[in-house]
Amino acid sequence: MLVHRTREDEDDEQFRPLSWGLIRRLFAYSAPVRPKVRRLVVLTVIRSIQLPALTWVAALVIKGPITGGRIAGLGLGVLGYGLLAISTDGLFHFRQRYALEIGETVVNRLRAAIFASLLRQPMSFFHRMRLGRIISRVTSDVEAVRAAMQDVLFVSVVQFGQMIFTAAVMLWCDWVMFLVVLAMAPVLALVNNHFRMKLSRLSRASQESFSRVTATLAESVNGIRVTQGFVRQEVNAGLFRGLLADHSNYNIALARTSAILTPLLELNSQFFVAILLLVGGWRVFHGAMAIGDLITFFLLANMFFAPFAIIGNQYNQALIAMAGAERVFQLVDAEPDWVDDPAAGDLPDPRPAAAGARVEFRDVTFGYNPALPVLHGISFTAEPGQSVALVGHTGSGKSSIINLVAKFYLPGAGEVRIDGREIRGLRSLSLHRQMGMVPQQNFLFGGSVLDNIRLSRPEAGEEEVRACAARLDCLDLFEALPRGLRTEVGERGAGLSVGQRQLVCFARALLADPRIVILDEATSSVDALTEARLQKALEVLLAGRTSFIVAHRLSTIRHADVVLVLDAGRIVERGTHPELLAAGGHYAALYRQFAQGAAG
Amino acid sequence: MPATAAATAAGPSNGALILRLFRLAWRYRLRCLAVLGIQLVLLSMGIFGLSFTGIGIDYIQHKVAQTPLAPNKLRLHLPEAWPVWQVLALLAGLILGLAVCRAVLNYVYGVMVNILVQRHLVVDMRGEVYEKLQRLSFRFFDLNTTGSIITRVTSDVQNVRMFVDQVLIQSLIMVISLTVYVIYMASLSPGLTLACLATTPVLWILSAAFSRRIQPEYARNRELAEVMVQRLSESVQGIAVTKGFGREEENRAEFDRANDAVLAQQRSIFWRVSLFSPTVGFLTRINMMVLLGYGGALVIRGQLPLGAGLVVFAGLLEQFSGQVNNVANIVNSVQQSLIGARRVFEILDAPVEVRSAPDAIRRPKLEGAVRFEQVSFAYRGLPGLRSSPDLSEAAGARADRVLHEIDLEVKPGQCVAILGATGAGKSVLMGLIPRFYDVTGGRLLVDGIDVRRLHLDDLRRNIGLVFQESFLFSNTVAANIAFGHPGATPAAIERAARIAAAHDFILKLPKGYDTVLGESGNTLSGGQRQRLAIARAVLLEPAILLLDDPTAAIDSETEHEIFEALDRAIAGRTTFIVAHRLSTLRRADRIIVMDGGRIVQQGTHAELMRVPGPYLRVARLQLVDGRELEGAA
Repeated sequence: MLVHRTREDEDDEQFRPLSWGLIRRLFAYSAPVRPKVRRLVVLTVIRSIQLPALTWVAALVIKGPITGGRIAGLGLGVLGYGLLAISTDGLFHFRQRYALEIGETVVNRLRAAIFASLLRQPMSFFHRMRLGRIISRVTSDVEAVRAAMQDVLFVSVVQFGQMIFTAAVMLWCDWVMFLVVLAMAPVLALVNNHFRMKLSRLSRASQESFSRVTATLAESVNGIRVTQGFVRQEVNAGLFRGLLADHSNYNIALARTSAILTPLLELNSQFFVAILLLVGGWRVFHGAMAIGDLITFFLLANMFFAPFAIIGNQYNQALIAMAGAERVFQLVDAEPDWVDDPAAGDLPDPRPAAAGARVEFRDVTFGYNPALPVLHGISFTAEPGQSVALVGHTGSGKSSIINLVAKFYLPGAGEVRIDGREIRGLRSLSLHRQMGMVPQQNFLFGGSVLDNIRLSRPEAGEEEVRACAARLDCLDLFEALPRGLRTEVGERGAGLSVGQRQLVCFARALLADPRIVILDEATSSVDALTEARLQKALEVLLAGRTSFIVAHRLSTIRHADVVLVLDAGRIVERGTHPELLAAGGHYAALYRQFAQGAAG
Repeated sequence: MPATAAATAAGPSNGALILRLFRLAWRYRLRCLAVLGIQLVLLSMGIFGLSFTGIGIDYIQHKVAQTPLAPNKLRLHLPEAWPVWQVLALLAGLILGLAVCRAVLNYVYGVMVNILVQRHLVVDMRGEVYEKLQRLSFRFFDLNTTGSIITRVTSDVQNVRMFVDQVLIQSLIMVISLTVYVIYMASLSPGLTLACLATTPVLWILSAAFSRRIQPEYARNRELAEVMVQRLSESVQGIAVTKGFGREEENRAEFDRANDAVLAQQRSIFWRVSLFSPTVGFLTRINMMVLLGYGGALVIRGQLPLGAGLVVFAGLLEQFSGQVNNVANIVNSVQQSLIGARRVFEILDAPVEVRSAPDAIRRPKLEGAVRFEQVSFAYRGLPGLRSSPDLSEAAGARADRVLHEIDLEVKPGQCVAILGATGAGKSVLMGLIPRFYDVTGGRLLVDGIDVRRLHLDDLRRNIGLVFQESFLFSNTVAANIAFGHPGATPAAIERAARIAAAHDFILKLPKGYDTVLGESGNTLSGGQRQRLAIARAVLLEPAILLLDDPTAAIDSETEHEIFEALDRAIAGRTTFIVAHRLSTLRRADRIIVMDGGRIVQQGTHAELMRVPGPYLRVARLQLVDGRELEGAA
């Protein structure tokens, strides 16, 4: 059970160099709070002066009144320090709140942009793109951007400013001593950078080993029945311990590195104190420097050195954010494979004159990859109100036909006509509004049964939904649920049986009052009683509408007006069920297998 | 979160939990003590280093201004006869030496804490929880979602260990260091110490209160963010539905609502955070003002040395304000570790309902005779996890009896098919045989021995299982077949695969038996998966075979593929098979029809077809097709 796992998102870079274009574009997303951005820039500059100024004032007080023994000056100095402190911390409230709000606003706008871009994409996009990747765009990538937006720029400005101001003060106090301080800066910067890079590499390795732990764990929980049934508890526990030990080794390697960095930074500042004492003390003794200035240096030195680590960190964060932003924008900018023709018109609804639509395929060829067609020269006509059953082995092209009717994909060659109008000339939305879709997995969204049914027509009232369920003769089933129509269904409809889920989907399709029904029948078998109700409900749903059914049930096929038998992307037989059986061809053979499964 | 609220309402008291956490920490007492010892040494070295700096400053002032050199706390006598540079070099050397020692010790400390936490605490606890999980009965897994169980092993364990390294060790370190600081500061100047630390209790109370206030807000925010991600993930998974009904705009509005809810809630957090941190900042600066004003006056009056007094004080105060963050962290960690402990201990305490009796009978090879005597089963008194809100409904619905006084005798080698509607009790009936559940009334005998007296491993090793949707592990085909017997030879694996009619398709996979399942492209059809599951079951040569609706998740077009496999697997074994289709039912020696937890009909296919009843009704529904077929042929 050692989980074999290829690394996901292998192409995902962790870092990306700073890019001016990306930064500008990110800031453009802060438009809703533009005035705050401007104010924040001013605030950060002020803060970068305030922080070292506070320390400097403290040093001045020590250097002047305290060493000089002037009590009066001392009071004034403390008062000045207090005023500066109030202004510093008062402004900090705004500096912090604005930064947080800007970060969140950008994140919020980015997420909305990602979602809007997703909805623009045709179905082909969702076949290519894994859900996990999309989710990591709106979670980890966007979070990386947030960290950068609210911190990197502003913190760096404050820290840089602090360094420069501190440097100026030190230079002014004693330039020789400042040169000594300066000499240590590059060492610090190099050490810091080296360890940051190493740490982020190690932490990635540790995350990966952790994802192996969780993947194994998930498998163990999902497969617990198998494990216990086959008495594998001991073996699994041993394997899991192995993975845990492996993960702990990565963590400890990480800890070892970070346990070097922090003491090293501290050692560096102590080293500086020793040098200061030795060289500074010597200079003071020889009258080259005042003792007050030496104390100023002691206090200010940290203000000069601390920014190295912080800025290094922020820079790292910025690179991560760049990589995240790049990925987010790739998704936001993804060009749809195709969009509706701007000249496309709406599909008219001629009801009550014609309840069903006329659907015609003319010599249609289609492939998800144009080089590998899965449908070849498909031609047929479904008259208004007819139901068309699509029959054939897996991969024969059944689903591709319904994907084309629904305009989820465009035909490669040939024409699909709805009520005589070429499908490319129809606005997708207007077509979909006259369509009822029952997908194979009977997909249900989080929310109540009522919400799920109403999804097809959100403006419908609860009474309408009830009436609709009653027409399908399944209102009693829904009402028997723990909270009736208000019963919450989890992801993928957990809590409802397969049959109940299918009925919800039927009700959803019926509520839309469509002219075309598209049904991808579920393969899983339902117990006999529910099966009978499903068949009745299906009859009601299909009555008078044109329907396309990927059929897995014999009863469905028997009731169809036209059966299209597909094989390797071609229609090999067509007709009604009795006609095809009598013909004794492909369908009859398939049917025999089918019926054997069902009736033996 | 309702879950945590419910958890605090029920379950053990916080006091009992804390006591238990202390016991957990006690197991690692030596390592904890070592870590604390190092901290104590580090602390004293820090104070020494700081003092040397102060002494240095005083010495320089003494040499320059010819002021008298006050005796210092360290009783370090700087010889007046030495040249200045030599004294300074000595002090600098001492500072540097201490700093190097500190760096080394700090490194040792960091590594030791991590080894304690990552190598011992977390690994031990995760291993323990996992092993326990593997033994828990199926009821537990029926009632708890995968996600909730996984969280217990991952983040909840992390929260529990925080009690040791974040709460216990950190509070001890804090207490020790504060005591040392205060004593040292007081020895320099009691008055100044008092004045400078006046604001400290306020700071602590403030930050403890703040963190208690803000944590629920953050928790709420995480929930809102989860809802937002959930909306996104559903939208992508259900994109065909959304697009199919042309409801993209509504879908987008829904997502935007969830997205904006996160933003709106964040605002109130931002306000609190940005009011709190400047306040804390200002309070620490008040300390500095006091130090400058009062301490400065003391220096001027000659009651406090400049270096060893004022400068050292400033350094110590900085250390002090660092501890404020610690208070907030500890308060947080206590709460989190209690929540985590509740959830982890729930698993560790969950009773293993099914286990071998101490004097269990060993029977490595069973014959396969199965007898139900007045067997009843109820889901009463479920050991569900308190902190899983999602189960309440399910538990309520299942609290009744699901089997009523079942009597059934099956001879070795017989095949029994079970027919019934969802909830009729078919799966539970079968689950009783390998003791996935224990009977709550009557008894169940295998080879004439009550299953509760048989050794559990022997019983289960003699039973082969195939479920509705068989779970295969992401491992090689061979390893999946050999799951129940990891030491099986390739020949044995191949034999099992041939019986299950899987050998041919396995050879067509990219790497044959070594193909890793679940990787891109190596997905199997439902029929193929079930055939691997059958191979996995027959590899053990079980006397009893349990097949829970093995064709349920397979296309009817490909269903026939596995019939051959089933026929060969069933031959010579006592078999129970849940089925809906006549084709399968007919293969059985005996058919039982279940309804509402009772056997309502039993007999052979031919017998049951002669009497009116549920079997005949089901059969008729399916036979319509059959007759048409015969008519056409």
